[in-house]
Amino acid sequence: MKLTVNGQIVEVSNDPPRLLLAVLREELGLMGTKYGCGAGICGTCAVLVDGVAARTCVTPLSAVEGKEIQTVEGLAQRNEEGTIVLHPIQQAFIDHQVPQCGWCMSGQMITAVSLLTENPNPTEDEIVEAMARNYCRCGAYVRIKRAIGDAAQMMNEGGTS
Amino acid sequence: MTSEERKWRISRRGFLLGFGATAVTATTAVAIGTKIGLTDYRKSLARETVLENELPEFEAAPGFWTQPDTWIEITAENEVKFYSPKIEMGQGVLTALGQVAADELSVAWEDMEIVQADTSRGMNDWGGTGGSYSIPTMYPMIREAAATLRALLLQEASKQMGIAVDELEAKDTAVIHKTNANQYMTYGELIQFARNWEVPAERPTLKSNDQLTMIGQSIPRMDFEAKLLGETVFGYDVTRPNMLYGAIARPPTIAAKLRSANEGMAMAEPGVQSVIIDGDFIGVVAESRMQAYAALQKLDLEWNEGKLWQQAEIDELVTVGNGLKIVIQEGGDNVNRLLRDDDPDLVAMELRTPLAAHASLEPQAALADVQTDSAEVWMSTQAAFRERDLIAEAIGHDPESIVLYPLYLGGGFGRKLNSGVGTEAARLSQMAGRPVHVGWTRTEDLQNGYFRPPTHHLLRGKVDGNGRIQAIVHETATADVMLGLPSSQMEHFLGIDSGIYRGATILYDVPNLRVTTYKVDLPVKTGPWRGLGLLANIFAVESMIDALAHQAQMDPVAFRLLNLPDSEIGLRLKNVLEAAAEKANWGESLPEGHARGVAISLDVNTVVAEIAEVSEENGRIRVHKMVAAVDPGKVVSPDGVIAQVEGAIMMGLSATFFEEIRIKDGRIAATNFGQYPLLTMKEAPDVEVVLLESGDTPYGIGEPPLGPVAAAVGNAYFALTGKRITQLPIFNQNG
Repeated sequence: MKLTVNGQIVEVSNDPPRLLLAVLREELGLMGTKYGCGAGICGTCAVLVDGVAARTCVTPLSAVEGKEIQTVEGLAQRNEEGTIVLHPIQQAFIDHQVPQCGWCMSGQMITAVSLLTENPNPTEDEIVEAMARNYCRCGAYVRIKRAIGDAAQMMNEGGTS
Repeated sequence: MTSEERKWRISRRGFLLGFGATAVTATTAVAIGTKIGLTDYRKSLARETVLENELPEFEAAPGFWTQPDTWIEITAENEVKFYSPKIEMGQGVLTALGQVAADELSVAWEDMEIVQADTSRGMNDWGGTGGSYSIPTMYPMIREAAATLRALLLQEASKQMGIAVDELEAKDTAVIHKTNANQYMTYGELIQFARNWEVPAERPTLKSNDQLTMIGQSIPRMDFEAKLLGETVFGYDVTRPNMLYGAIARPPTIAAKLRSANEGMAMAEPGVQSVIIDGDFIGVVAESRMQAYAALQKLDLEWNEGKLWQQAEIDELVTVGNGLKIVIQEGGDNVNRLLRDDDPDLVAMELRTPLAAHASLEPQAALADVQTDSAEVWMSTQAAFRERDLIAEAIGHDPESIVLYPLYLGGGFGRKLNSGVGTEAARLSQMAGRPVHVGWTRTEDLQNGYFRPPTHHLLRGKVDGNGRIQAIVHETATADVMLGLPSSQMEHFLGIDSGIYRGATILYDVPNLRVTTYKVDLPVKTGPWRGLGLLANIFAVESMIDALAHQAQMDPVAFRLLNLPDSEIGLRLKNVLEAAAEKANWGESLPEGHARGVAISLDVNTVVAEIAEVSEENGRIRVHKMVAAVDPGKVVSPDGVIAQVEGAIMMGLSATFFEEIRIKDGRIAATNFGQYPLLTMKEAPDVEVVLLESGDTPYGIGEPPLGPVAAAVGNAYFALTGKRITQLPIFNQNG
């Protein structure tokens, strides 16, 4: 079956039937999406499926046939000179020195992008509600919230993604 | 333990090991023999350990800098590589140590490359990364090593350029003429002459504070871009050519013993390469992780379940009066006389905290590639050398033939000081003949390994008419903390567990006091969890202090200020207490239904005061804000310190409100986060941090800010409702 991952069409087999997380990591070598619980609770496995955050540890491969998947590796772009241009969410996470260990960051950013796509001007409460199911064991919540607010502003001011 | 034993020890390779060894003291104990009574000996050893925990002193012994290039490498292309023996798990240690080296060595930050040292590249760091001692131990050593190198570079430049040393200065990875910047030589040019260098016998002169340009600055973390791009390779992510995946059969109960094992139908399962049965070490190796776990189910295993422990039995064991008793602090002659049960002015309190899991979001993970006479292991570990040596023992190889590469960790918190997964991957690889990756599931991570032990606290105290504490007693029962890590028989026999004592002692000026610890043996493994005994002990002691303040009808901040001693530590504690109170507007009015509570702690010579602001909505406590004032000695990276304070507070709140591992029918009841929820952004309060500094020595910061969290929340709740929280977690899963 075919799916698009970070703009590239890939052909994967669904025999045996597998979870999307295993396919991304073990077969496609995209290790940026992480395993945290395998039960859809912690959020470290989130990717964008047609622009909406989905938890790959509980998403069967068959559910995303023909869909567009964006992982953390697909957030940044390369410009004509080949330099990396960070997504506003990544830039905001660096500006606010958000990460600590970094394991949850992919899921946090993906979930934030999903929120900002649906709601470009979220209130603080709306940010909290949207992010309340993404664990950060290192406890970087204060900075995650701050950075998302900042990224929203950047994206609304026409920051390129 | 004498001051001699606190200094650096020289290993057989002439490099330095960690500080203060219980093993050294234990040998001394044997040498002393039975002349000294065991109880008294334990008591004095324990007190030395308490002192060491609270006021660690680190002094570099002469001779260690004979090989400064252990850590710092200068290339001909004028790049400087710093090899960090301390491992990055989110605490920012790579960046912090790198900036210390760059500053003292006068390296431009963009010329600096910071890499993780592996076990083939000195220095043997048996203690591992943790204990809040990475910066305190490495800071003086790195500065001396860098200063030595700088002196040698200046000397060589002087020789090569024919200019006197005092007319030259080291700056931006080069040695330049002070008055003519066009005359210079880069470090890359100078390093070619290094083989002629002789390290001087005298210690080098370190830069003075006004010469420092990076130490004390918030330099952006060097690992963030890669982490945010999803490029960083953690232990769970590592791949090697021709690799397989391994899964280990776990015992069904905590007391289970294997009765019989055979392959069953496992070998017939898709993707399975081999089934390994070696005593009670049983595993499957397969093409994919999913296939390995699926095949585990097809093994034919029979277990004796053993005793089916229940939580009530665990609680009964962890009760003051049980187990090995050591008095770790005492003073005055009137403790018992002043604290009588029939005294109406007696304040008494009983508190409990539960078993807790580390729950780093990256579970245990390692990849091992074992060859006939060599092995390579890539791993998420906090203790590369310990793991290497355990692996060597398990596979019967010489430790020196194994290279262990510690990778970035997705959280450690003390659990990865002895992960176990490195040995599992190595044994599987040895038998399978290919590289094998083992990555635990969340269920395995919650149920295997060691936990933060439960605690039980009994406190009694009394104040006089002037608000002075007359007497106080703290008794606490718990299980192994530091002794939960591999320790010698002698260490177990002596039972001195430095982890248990963290935060247990009384910081106040009290004429009559006694602190007694009890250590019991539990059927589940316990060990170090961030802060060790700190969170629980401060919860107990500072709740008690709060109750005494209430008895004295005094404001909790004023009461503490009155009762803290005028010692150096006492003054530092008063400073952070006053700073936190000022920042939190202590004493000023709050919105209706809000209240504040305060708590202080001392740990690894870092003093912390925290003030929580809480309310109660629909019977549920909510923390709106935490204000923390911290004095960690000298600050290397202000933002790095603040991030650690923020993070430790969140972890402390998670433990305060949610975290509890329970035993049911002989099993760990939690199978995933559904039964072991963590704090989320929803419960996260605003956090404000005031940074104070004292002196020229940096102390630790990874753990100290955890200390006051539970007590500050409990004390705020008391101020709000008059009800005393005496059991954690507050949101008890079982009602």
